[in-house]
Amino acid sequence: MIEGLFKKLFGKEKSKDAAKKRLKLALVYDKLDVSDDLITNLHQDIVDVISKYFIIDKESIKLDIKRSDNSSSLILNTPILSTRRSQSA
Amino acid sequence: MEGKIIVITSGKGGVGKTTATASIGAALAMENKKVAVIDMDIGLRNLDVVMGLENRIVFNIVDAVNGKCKVQQAAIKDRKIDNLFLIPASQSDNKNVISPAAMKNFCKELRTEFDFVLLDCPAGIEQGFENSVVGADEAIVICTPEVSAVRDADRVIGLLYAKSVLPKLLVNRIVPEMVARGDMLSHEDVVDVLSIDLIGLVPMDDNVVISTNTGAHLIHNKQSQAGKAFRRIAMRLNGNADLPIEVPRAKKGFWGKLGFKRGRNK
Repeated sequence: MIEGLFKKLFGKEKSKDAAKKRLKLALVYDKLDVSDDLITNLHQDIVDVISKYFIIDKESIKLDIKRSDNSSSLILNTPILSTRRSQSA
Repeated sequence: MEGKIIVITSGKGGVGKTTATASIGAALAMENKKVAVIDMDIGLRNLDVVMGLENRIVFNIVDAVNGKCKVQQAAIKDRKIDNLFLIPASQSDNKNVISPAAMKNFCKELRTEFDFVLLDCPAGIEQGFENSVVGADEAIVICTPEVSAVRDADRVIGLLYAKSVLPKLLVNRIVPEMVARGDMLSHEDVVDVLSIDLIGLVPMDDNVVISTNTGAHLIHNKQSQAGKAFRRIAMRLNGNADLPIEVPRAKKGFWGKLGFKRGRNK
């Protein structure tokens, strides 16, 4: 809020701040330009880890990289069929 | 002799690789080291004309790597600086006439002949880049404080790490007045984005164009702030690693500004 007020009082954002913000995001996106192999391997690893704790439907698990203006997120969606009791120790 | 091979690279074109190669090479030679600067931009040679040696070319890098001549025959002695040699690129070939394996071998030979070898890498990340990096011990990555150059530098830094060549960053063409206004990324911003160690900061300097016009050495121009910065980079490479990195500053006050204008209008 103070920052917003500051901007209102002293004019607009400096252009180099915009440059830095855009750059940081561009670099994140560039590195997220991941290969299919990586996604496949990640998918398999995640399934393995989750399967240690839950019984899941391995076919219907969905893995997505979602990009918005300010951030990127990895979104995983999987139905849980049941827990594995044996892992509780 | 066990010389050091340093590749000067950037990804993006036009950020000052050739000028940096010529100036750092000249400065190292002035420190009594035997130095070779090599133009790796086969098909688009320029280091020769920047150094004013364009009409002395007989053999080139392609001849030397492929065994058509000896290293000593391809290395042109500089006109002004004793220990400085240029191996020019070939203008008529294409980049695939040199293989990375042959280049790696050639680098071994260069190590026995020179204290420092600076490879002026072509823009891009294709075969010319591969050939330049394959035999290198270290890299200097050059970028200007612009989004396009920084992004490409990031890509190149990633590729260098993957090849186990340690990169250091040179931020070129800093305009202190614009940085002070907040209209240009500062070197801190660039370092923050790229997370890499600096080897030096070089200000924007009209003297670069002026020296290049005549093929003179920038480091011989006493007024050149860029030349001064390149000399300090050479000292850092030549064992004086802790030499403080000077940040280009805007001239302050009436007299300073007057001096700045006078310098630029010459």
